[in-house]
Amino acid sequence: MANLVLELGLALSLVALAGLLAARSRFSAVPFFILAGLAVGPHTPLGFVESAPVINFLGRLGLLVLLFYLGLEFSVGRLLRAGRSILLGGVIYMAINLPLGLLLPWLLGWPLREILVAAGITTISSTAIAARLVVELKRTANPETEMILGLMLFQDAFVVVYLAVISGLVLTGNASPGQVAKATLGALAFMAGFLFLGRRLKPLLDRWLDIPSDELLLLVIFAALTLVAGLAESLHLAEAVGALLVGLVLGETEHFQRIQHLVVPFRDFFSALFFFSFGLGIDPLTLKGAVWPALAAVALTLVGNFTSGLLAGRTAGLSPRASTNVGLTITARGEFSIILANLARAGGLLPVLQSFAALYVVILAVLGPLLTKESRWIYARLRPVFRWPALPPRKQKIS
Amino acid sequence: MGHLTVYREVELPGIGRKFQIETRAGDRLIIVVHDDGRREIYYVDCENLEECGPVVTLDDGEARHVAAILGGMVYTPKALESVEMAFDEMVFEWFKVEPGAAAAGQTIGGLRVREKTGATIIAVVERDRRKIINPGPDQVIREGATLVVMGDRKQVRACKDLILRGNR
Repeated sequence: MANLVLELGLALSLVALAGLLAARSRFSAVPFFILAGLAVGPHTPLGFVESAPVINFLGRLGLLVLLFYLGLEFSVGRLLRAGRSILLGGVIYMAINLPLGLLLPWLLGWPLREILVAAGITTISSTAIAARLVVELKRTANPETEMILGLMLFQDAFVVVYLAVISGLVLTGNASPGQVAKATLGALAFMAGFLFLGRRLKPLLDRWLDIPSDELLLLVIFAALTLVAGLAESLHLAEAVGALLVGLVLGETEHFQRIQHLVVPFRDFFSALFFFSFGLGIDPLTLKGAVWPALAAVALTLVGNFTSGLLAGRTAGLSPRASTNVGLTITARGEFSIILANLARAGGLLPVLQSFAALYVVILAVLGPLLTKESRWIYARLRPVFRWPALPPRKQKIS
Repeated sequence: MGHLTVYREVELPGIGRKFQIETRAGDRLIIVVHDDGRREIYYVDCENLEECGPVVTLDDGEARHVAAILGGMVYTPKALESVEMAFDEMVFEWFKVEPGAAAAGQTIGGLRVREKTGATIIAVVERDRRKIINPGPDQVIREGATLVVMGDRKQVRACKDLILRGNR
C-alpha cells in the first residue's frame, strides 16, 4: 500500500510540474497534463502500473465534475438573450465546421461511430482557452469579444445535445440501426424528462438546497452527482451525461453561484487528473499512426474556423480586424475534444481516436493561442488579399 | 446611474460583465468587471479598440479603493457634501450637518435616532477631522460635523430629515 501512495504522490508531482510549466509558458495546462500522462503510462518503461487504476478512477470523477460544471454554467436563457447576430454566427460556424469534421474521418475510411466522435472532437472549440485568451490579451472590451463568447455559448449548447446523442450511439455497441436509433431516442428522452422534472421541482430544490453549512451542501451535491451519473450508466447512457444533467438542473436553482464556488477547487483538481489519466491510457507507439490524420484535422480546423469566424464577425457588422480575432480565437481546442475521445474509449471504439485526439489537442491548444496572439500580424498578411483597410499604428499601452 | 449619457451593459459569459460609458465630456470608457474580482478600465480614444486605449487593471481591493476615491469617500469634493454608498439594500451615507440644522447641539440619544428612524449613526467626523467611531447616545451632534449613517434607503432618509428639521 505504501507503494501505491508513493506512486500517487509521484503522479501528482508530475501533474503539478506539468501545470507549473504550462503556467510559465502561458499556455493551457490541458496539453501538458496529457503529455505528462503519455510519458509515464503503463506502456512506457517509467510506467505507473500500481497506481494506474486509482488515477484512472480519480480521472473518471474529474470527467464527472467537469461536465457537472459545464451544466451548472450553461443556461439556455443566456443563449437566447445573446441576440440574433450571435445565433446566426453559431449557425454559420456549425454549417461550415461540422461537415468538415465529418469529411476527414469519412475520407480516412473510419467506421460510422468513429466518424461521429471525430467530428465532435474537431468541431468543438475550447471555451476555457478562448475565454482565457480574451482576458490575457486584454481584449475583454473589444467589440468582437461578445461574438467570441457567444459562439462558445452556442457550442456549449451543441455539446450538451451532441454528448447525449453520441453517448447513446457509442455505448450501445455494434448494434443494428434500429437499436442505435432507439438508444439515441432513449438518451434524448431521458435528458428531456430529467430536465423537465428539474424545472418542475425547482421551488422544492431551492428550498432543499438552502443548506447553511458548506460541508453539507457539498456532500449533497456530490451525492446527487454520483447517484445520477451511476443511474445514467445503468440506463446505458454515459455517466458523463448524467453529471451534465445534474449540473443543468442545479444551474437553474437560485443557489447555483454558491454551488459553483464550492465545486471549482474539486473541478480543478480532478480534471487535471482526468487529462493526465487520458494521457496514461495512450500507448505512445500508436501515436505514429495518428500523426497524419491529426495534422490534416488541424489544417481543416484552422481553415474552417477562421473562415466561419470571419463570416460570423462580418455578418454581425464587425470590422475585418475584429472578425480576424474571432476566427483565430475559436481555433483553440482542449477539454471538450478530450471528453469526447474519452467517451470513445469507454465505448470501445478504435484506439486511434485517442491518439488522434491527443495529438490534435496538443497541437491546437498551443497553436490556436499563438495565432490569436499574432492576430495583428496575420491581419496585415491577409489585408492585401481581401482589400481590407490598413491598420492605424499601434499606440503605446499604459499598464 | 441614470446620469450617464450613453450606458450599455453586456454580459460576457465566462468572464463577467462589461459596462460601456460615454461621459458628458465625450470620453468613452469601458469597464469590465471580471467574475474573479478584477476590474479593467479601458479608455477608448479611437474607433479601433484593438490598437489603442490604455488599460488599467485593478484587483478587487484596489478597485474598491479607487471606487472610494472616485465616490468621494476618501476626500469629498467641496461641491458635494453628501456621499452615498449602497450595498444591495443597505446604504451608508456620509452627510454633513448643515449650519442651522434643527438637531445641532442635541445628543443622539436625545434625538432618539434609532427608535424614530431605524437608521444608525455609526461614526461622526467632527469639523476638526476628529473621528468618533460608534458614538454613544450622549454624543452631541454639532454643526459642520459629518455623520456616517447606515440603514436602508428609507431609514437613512428619515434620519437626515430628523437631523435637519428636528422632532416634529
